[in-house]
Amino acid sequence: MTGLSHKAKGVDHAAFPTFDPAATVRFYRDVLGFPVVHSICAAGWGPEDHPDFIHFFFDIGNGDRIAFFYYFGLEPPAGGPQGDVYARFAADAPRFFIRSRHLAIHVDSDEDLTEYQRRLDGSEWPCTLRLQHETIESIYTDDPNGYMIEFTRALRPVTPQEDLDANLTIDALLDVVSGGNPSMDALLTRKAELIVERAADWEQRREAAQNEGAQRELTRS
Amino acid sequence: MTILYILDVPENVPVVKVAAQDTAVTVDKVGPYFAVASPATIVIDRRATGCRHAVWYSSVAGLAGARITQWDKDALRVEPR
Repeated sequence: MTGLSHKAKGVDHAAFPTFDPAATVRFYRDVLGFPVVHSICAAGWGPEDHPDFIHFFFDIGNGDRIAFFYYFGLEPPAGGPQGDVYARFAADAPRFFIRSRHLAIHVDSDEDLTEYQRRLDGSEWPCTLRLQHETIESIYTDDPNGYMIEFTRALRPVTPQEDLDANLTIDALLDVVSGGNPSMDALLTRKAELIVERAADWEQRREAAQNEGAQRELTRS
Repeated sequence: MTILYILDVPENVPVVKVAAQDTAVTVDKVGPYFAVASPATIVIDRRATGCRHAVWYSSVAGLAGARITQWDKDALRVEPR
């Protein structure tokens, strides 16, 4: 707990370059059904080498948006044989590393996940995988720019003990990376110490905090 | 003593149940964690747990007096350090 109030309201937009606006619009608007909600036609009036560009946005639900930049006349920068249009990697770069960066879009149900799978499988960009992870189920594809896009649903709600566990993991991680020579073994050993220190009376502390909150509510009303 | 901590969420319960089949293993709770303890090596057969891979490979929360010497599609083996 940092004590800082949490005022953020999700993703306004996440922006990516594209060299193929036609396929990008086909994928997001025509295949997935994401409405175009905003676009900017901008003359490259800034730095001398800045091309004219179109900045366009699709609604990805919840008022959040994915946005693209299309630069007139710009050729893709050189790079290696792997990756997407933004980042190219050498042939020996590990695939798991290249595939780590992705955008995951939330859906509410199995039916909704299956509907997006159906839309993708009927398109030029079929699903590459449908997988149940620990507590979520996801489908994946690559958009026309090579960006990995995931759709995911929760298999069950996240429980309060998972929030505790996540915080103990992060505190253990910070300890082992600052200690040099980080490893899973070091992390799990440190985390066991934090579990003994902080997990035993967690339930009582949580109940006390909830009661305190309830008391405050009662006092206000 | 070898202690393996496992978070108490529905997906992890079969891991604890299979571990507890070993008579040398005791299971206690530390807050929302199971503390799976043994004076010797703890071996858990993955297929007996029925866990899918993503659950299996993220089921361990902590290790006390112990180190993992096997964690693959067949088994999790935790030995005294």
